[in-house]
Amino acid sequence: MRKPTWPKAGPVFWLWLILFLACGLAAMADDRPVRYDLKVELIPETATLQGKETIVWINRTADYIPDIQFHLYWNAFKNERSTLAREASREKMISRYRAKKDEWGWIKLVSLYTDSGLDLMPAATFISPDGPHNPDDQTVLRVELPEPLAPGQSITLNLEFQAKVPGSGLRTGYYRDGFFIAQWFPKPGVYEEGRGWNCHEYHLNSEFYADFADYRVEITVPERMVVGACGEEVARRDDPASGKTTYTYVQQNIHDFAWTASPRFVKLERWFRGEEEVTPEEYRQMAELLGLSPQELKLPDVKMILLIEKQHQHQAERHFRALRAALKYYGLWYGPYPYRTITMVDPPYRTGSGGMEYPTLFTAGTSVLLEKDVLSPEQVIIHEFGHGYWYGLVANNEFEEAWLDEGINTYSTGRVSEVAYGPGRLPFRFIGLPLGWLIRPPAVYDWQLGRVVSATVAELDPILTASWKFFNSMSYALNVYYRAATCLHTLERLLGEKTWARVMRTYHMRYRFRHPKTEDFIRVVNEVSGQDLTWFFKEFFFNANNFDYAIGSVESRLKPEKYQGVFDGLPTGQASSPPAGGQEKTARKKEKIYETVITLRRYGPARTGPGYGLKLRVDFEDGSSEWREWDGHGRWVRFYFEKPARVKTAVLDPEAIWLVDSNLSNNSYSSQGPGARLLAATGKLVWFLQHLLLTFSGLL
Amino acid sequence: MSLQTYLNPGLNRTISRLRLSVYIWLILLVLALLALAPINSLLRNSLGHFYLPDKPVMPFELNLAEVFLANQEILGPYLGFLLTLMLLAGLIFTFLSAGLFGRMLSPDPVVTFREFLSDGARHFWKFFLSFLLFLPFLAVLLIIFRLLAAPLNLWSGRAVTEWPVIISSNLRMLVLVLLWTAFKLLLDLVRIIMVSESKKVIPAYVSALSFLRRHFLGLWGLYLLLGLAVIIISAFWFFIMHLLPAGAAPGVLAFIILGQIYIIFRVLARQVFIGVEYAYYLRRKGE
Repeated sequence: MRKPTWPKAGPVFWLWLILFLACGLAAMADDRPVRYDLKVELIPETATLQGKETIVWINRTADYIPDIQFHLYWNAFKNERSTLAREASREKMISRYRAKKDEWGWIKLVSLYTDSGLDLMPAATFISPDGPHNPDDQTVLRVELPEPLAPGQSITLNLEFQAKVPGSGLRTGYYRDGFFIAQWFPKPGVYEEGRGWNCHEYHLNSEFYADFADYRVEITVPERMVVGACGEEVARRDDPASGKTTYTYVQQNIHDFAWTASPRFVKLERWFRGEEEVTPEEYRQMAELLGLSPQELKLPDVKMILLIEKQHQHQAERHFRALRAALKYYGLWYGPYPYRTITMVDPPYRTGSGGMEYPTLFTAGTSVLLEKDVLSPEQVIIHEFGHGYWYGLVANNEFEEAWLDEGINTYSTGRVSEVAYGPGRLPFRFIGLPLGWLIRPPAVYDWQLGRVVSATVAELDPILTASWKFFNSMSYALNVYYRAATCLHTLERLLGEKTWARVMRTYHMRYRFRHPKTEDFIRVVNEVSGQDLTWFFKEFFFNANNFDYAIGSVESRLKPEKYQGVFDGLPTGQASSPPAGGQEKTARKKEKIYETVITLRRYGPARTGPGYGLKLRVDFEDGSSEWREWDGHGRWVRFYFEKPARVKTAVLDPEAIWLVDSNLSNNSYSSQGPGARLLAATGKLVWFLQHLLLTFSGLL
Repeated sequence: MSLQTYLNPGLNRTISRLRLSVYIWLILLVLALLALAPINSLLRNSLGHFYLPDKPVMPFELNLAEVFLANQEILGPYLGFLLTLMLLAGLIFTFLSAGLFGRMLSPDPVVTFREFLSDGARHFWKFFLSFLLFLPFLAVLLIIFRLLAAPLNLWSGRAVTEWPVIISSNLRMLVLVLLWTAFKLLLDLVRIIMVSESKKVIPAYVSALSFLRRHFLGLWGLYLLLGLAVIIISAFWFFIMHLLPAGAAPGVLAFIILGQIYIIFRVLARQVFIGVEYAYYLRRKGE
């Protein structure tokens, strides 16, 4: 048999092959409905932007679409009548957003043409799609198209815009010549098939939602500026005549673009090397946990870029260490980081832009005087990088289901911090000086603190509430960040480490570069765990119900040897219980028997689902233990024990599975109590109050 | 004249009247226990039988926080109760202050609780009036403070790094403390004059202002020196307490004992201030 050979390829064949591959790649890219080509110049003296934008928008749905809706986010900072300002005013937070003279932010569309030269400006009107209607809000612009866009049809729009950077705004802003520029360009909402445009106003308590797109952005700034941006810098062009520099950044498959410029940045670069950061043993263990091959887990190399203020430069390695930990554990647990760069920005001073995420770029935040065991920059770095996974890659609608990124990411931050750093101390400061050497607050894990504070909003709003519809900012923050994270910690303990790791990995990888909803998460949990946990989500995410099981009471008393009354088989009038047999009676004299009654209560309306209950462990003074289980459905239950010893301790849920329980302090009983700890607490309070009184007395 | 000229009589006067500190400490303790009774009851009810395992789900401090958060509805009324108690404590402290000055400046070094209370009652009204008359001086203090703080605010307001903000915050605090000590000196002196020379309030203010016009810097320097000593000892004390093992019974006991000794120290320090100021006044009033 002749060895098969390739036919000799002529030029026509190669041309055909190139065209075929190009079309294939284009088709892959075209999965995304939007492409952006942006050119922007920053004029620091007036804090303004001059921008040009070309958007190619493709109708990827089966609908005929009559309009396009744009976010013009910066108009939220235009005046006190915007939806954001009204919401801030309602929450007595307006002073944070009320700008000084000349510091109001805005964005103005100067022109809007189709590729064929049709002027669409006359067809543009501001709308306020979210209730209550606000005619003064200008953060959503609706542009009626000359004719509906058919399925598969695309439209190219050429825009020119001017924008004024808000002074120290919300997530974006400037101070002196330091700028952080986010949500800065006209950006279409997300068109959802059969439902229309999902394009919300800029709200106080919500973040963002956008389609994945390819970005090419040219940024022109004075040459003294150090610039950082989403994606990769592919070109830099200096213009000595004007004293300006133009940077070009490119990134595919992201859904937002932010950048920063300041003369006070120091730019540092390091590499994250997957082979060096993760040991073969770690790969093996993780592979076993996830049921994958170690090869599938290999982490790619990533260029880490840090733009740090000169005043914080001494903390640069601290920043990189935290980022390395985040890249490692998010990568191992959920999936490899798919981009080539990650830019970490220590935000320009007083720009109000710290602790925020953007695709391939995030802002951290630190202070010049910082103690080693206060993990505030580390946790912010891990959290904001983590949003690259939960928001950046798995891109849920943050307006409507914020818990899907904030809750899952708060959970993930807690886990990474725990593994990489252990517990951290809460910062204690006075007039800017750290006082850790003087006052020693306890070292806590993020999730421990989170579960305590989030219990306060358990009955205020369901976790699954549209961001702007929460009772207030506190309810929003505690529900979507901490209560959601507490629920996930509970699920992890309920399902076990291995199942939970697979749930999270599956959910992440399945919905990478997609826009999942809560139902998708629930589906993955049920599918991977093989259990129906829908009740869990109904109870804790769709309803605002408090979950509080408790040990109501514990009574342990000596069992009487005789009981009063009339007993069958004894002569009438016998006023005692039947006598025990001779030998038994002797034994009873030696061994006292105690009757113990433990009442468990369910104080909150929330309860465990079918097939899930709580365990009770009772330890007696003679060293013996008893276990009981309660399905938790009733409001209370009693357990009876007869033992030759009194009860020493009783613990409901001793494995601490139900972290979502709003009050763990009522889940246990000890005949001794916490002893010295309670004394210490009251002793400290007395001491503190004495100080207060003594200081107060000095005023008189 | 050397520092010892004023320090020795002040310290001697304090040492011979040590009981005063114990009286005041006891009253403070009772007041603090009274103020904390509702909180103590809440903690006992909620955590009196709490089981703290070797590896708890969270640090015990978070259990305390959990109890407070779970009982938020009582915290509002409790703060009201605390505020009422503080107002009441205001009157009590005026009384205690009167007793303290009365006994400290008495030529008779014998101190009994009865005499302490008797002095408190005798001088209470004058002390109360002296405080009321001190309020306009406090307003002046605030005005001066705002004037002195203005350039610092301007500096930190224009800062492009954190340092100016941190430095100016600390400088503002320093200015406030210095101003406060200067004005407090006036009130102390008024009370010394009222008690030692049996003057009424306004004449005492006139005499005190006149004295300060001549001797302000010397007395203020002395006051600041004593203040610095108290701060250094306090910092050392806090540092030692910070090193005590948390949670274990011996550590807790040591904390409580050292803490209470520190409160006595603070009252003693107050006695020393009065004693030294009095010594200074006696020596220099004729000049």
